[in-house]
Amino acid sequence: MNEPLLVLDNVTKNYGAIEALKGISFSIGKGEVVALLGDNGAGKSTLVKIISGGLEPTSGRMLFEGKEFLAKSPAEAKAAGIETVYQDLSLCTNVDVVANFFMGREITRKFLGIPVLDERAMEAVVGNALANAGTRIPSLRANVEHLSGGQRQAIELNRFVHWGGKLVLLDEPFAALGVEQTRRGLDMIRQVANQGIGVVIITHIMQQAFQVADRIVVIRQGVVAGDVARNKTSPDAVINMITGETLAGAGPTG
Amino acid sequence: MDPRTRKALEFVLDNLVWFMLLFVLVVFSIFVPNYFQLGIFANIIEASSVLGVMSIGLALVIIAGHMDLSVESVAALSAMAVGILFCSSGIGMGVQLHPEWLMVPVSLLVALAVGGLIGAFNGYLVVKVKMSAFIITLASYIWVRGLVLVISGGRSAQDLAPAIRWFGIQRLVGLPLTAWIAVSCFVVFSLIMAKTPFGRHLVMIGGNETATFRAGIRVNRNLIIAFVLAGAIAGLAGWLLAIRTSGATANLGVGLLFNAFAAVVIGGVSLKGGVGTLPGVYAGVLLLSAINTAINLMGLPANFTQVIHGLLVLAAVLLDAFKQTIRQRLA
Repeated sequence: MNEPLLVLDNVTKNYGAIEALKGISFSIGKGEVVALLGDNGAGKSTLVKIISGGLEPTSGRMLFEGKEFLAKSPAEAKAAGIETVYQDLSLCTNVDVVANFFMGREITRKFLGIPVLDERAMEAVVGNALANAGTRIPSLRANVEHLSGGQRQAIELNRFVHWGGKLVLLDEPFAALGVEQTRRGLDMIRQVANQGIGVVIITHIMQQAFQVADRIVVIRQGVVAGDVARNKTSPDAVINMITGETLAGAGPTG
Repeated sequence: MDPRTRKALEFVLDNLVWFMLLFVLVVFSIFVPNYFQLGIFANIIEASSVLGVMSIGLALVIIAGHMDLSVESVAALSAMAVGILFCSSGIGMGVQLHPEWLMVPVSLLVALAVGGLIGAFNGYLVVKVKMSAFIITLASYIWVRGLVLVISGGRSAQDLAPAIRWFGIQRLVGLPLTAWIAVSCFVVFSLIMAKTPFGRHLVMIGGNETATFRAGIRVNRNLIIAFVLAGAIAGLAGWLLAIRTSGATANLGVGLLFNAFAAVVIGGVSLKGGVGTLPGVYAGVLLLSAINTAINLMGLPANFTQVIHGLLVLAAVLLDAFKQTIRQRLA
């Protein structure tokens, strides 16, 4: 594995008496795609929220590019170069495609010292980004509430591809996508990783994990139950790790 | 449906309140004697300045997905503060400044500061303590009005300093300066909402607060600013109210809150947040004012206004639902 981008060292999270994460340690390299697998309630989404600044860990530490890292808010994580695509879509359906694409990062011109939205420049950027990704949306000025679930998810995916950053976290990004769009989404992930960006993808679908990931990390009951290179394991072995038929921490032998 | 009809239909839907206003003005002009005069139209604009300014602040907070019930009381407190400082009779202290015009910026600053402070208090509790804006601002609505009663002792201040009164008397193109202040407020805040990142963020926060937070928008900061603005704008409304009545009474502006709500809802702002524009709100304000004027001219008892306003709010909400179904079909 090449140089680690993000290292998690014994990260825990308690909700009152409940230990959601009992001590997670693993790392993600630059340009590496890590699939994070685990049963419902294993703590995957909690982990993603901790990395992306939505939640603070109870204990443990993280190193991002070799430096101590703890995002207190999504804004801080973003500033550090961590992009997140959440399971429940993070779009404002009451505004148009362009506004959603640029949410919080609008292009502005100064007019008498006041920042004014540069709609034309933004629309051009969004038009290009969507065209490059082969996503067709009838009007960039249509409010997102009028778009289909697939179109909405496509906007989110294109958004992260466009903004890039250094590390991308995807929490079940393909839940609402059709077969063709999913294939394109997986291509996008590869393409992003090839630019040297680290990718963590949470998924329930084994096939997707094996299609795209370099490494597979399995979380079970708040601990890492397996951390193996994709080409050294098999879907059956991973399923065993998820359900707990193999001892925690032991990689599959076959 | 061909694109042109679709465009036209969307334009009508987006500006429905303005068409309603136009329709109402035409109907009144035809059927109400003496309605069709420039003076009457000027009067409609003039009479709506205080309500209009107050509605801007209310609309900002509602578009951001929250609520400010305190605007009416805040306006009254600001008016009372200005009244006590710069009125010469009643409970007025008759503070004199030299040169005289200095009283204008000072009184305005007092009004804005009073409003802004209460807005900051509301905003802080809503955002940091995470209490419901409805309850917080309901409490403010009550205690701020109480404060007005306490500091005035239930009495009134009269004879506002002429230098300040000047804004209510001096006319420009047939309208008093106070009306121009209201109109320019609408222009300025409409531009802020439509053209700046701050306005865009408020609309998005009203639509999906979680999404904006995740996108790195400083939601808390924006919301507190919105509450402070709502308070300060209510303060400005109070300043205009003091000028209009040349002083302040303890029950000044009672009932304005409900008119402001009516205007905001009629103007197409959704109470769920994230939907609505300020030009629409202004049309709503003018619509209410146009109807009041018609009722006056027809010599109907003023009590009818309230019945009509209530029905108008109902109609606005029904219309909104209707608009949604049409839009769904368009998409």
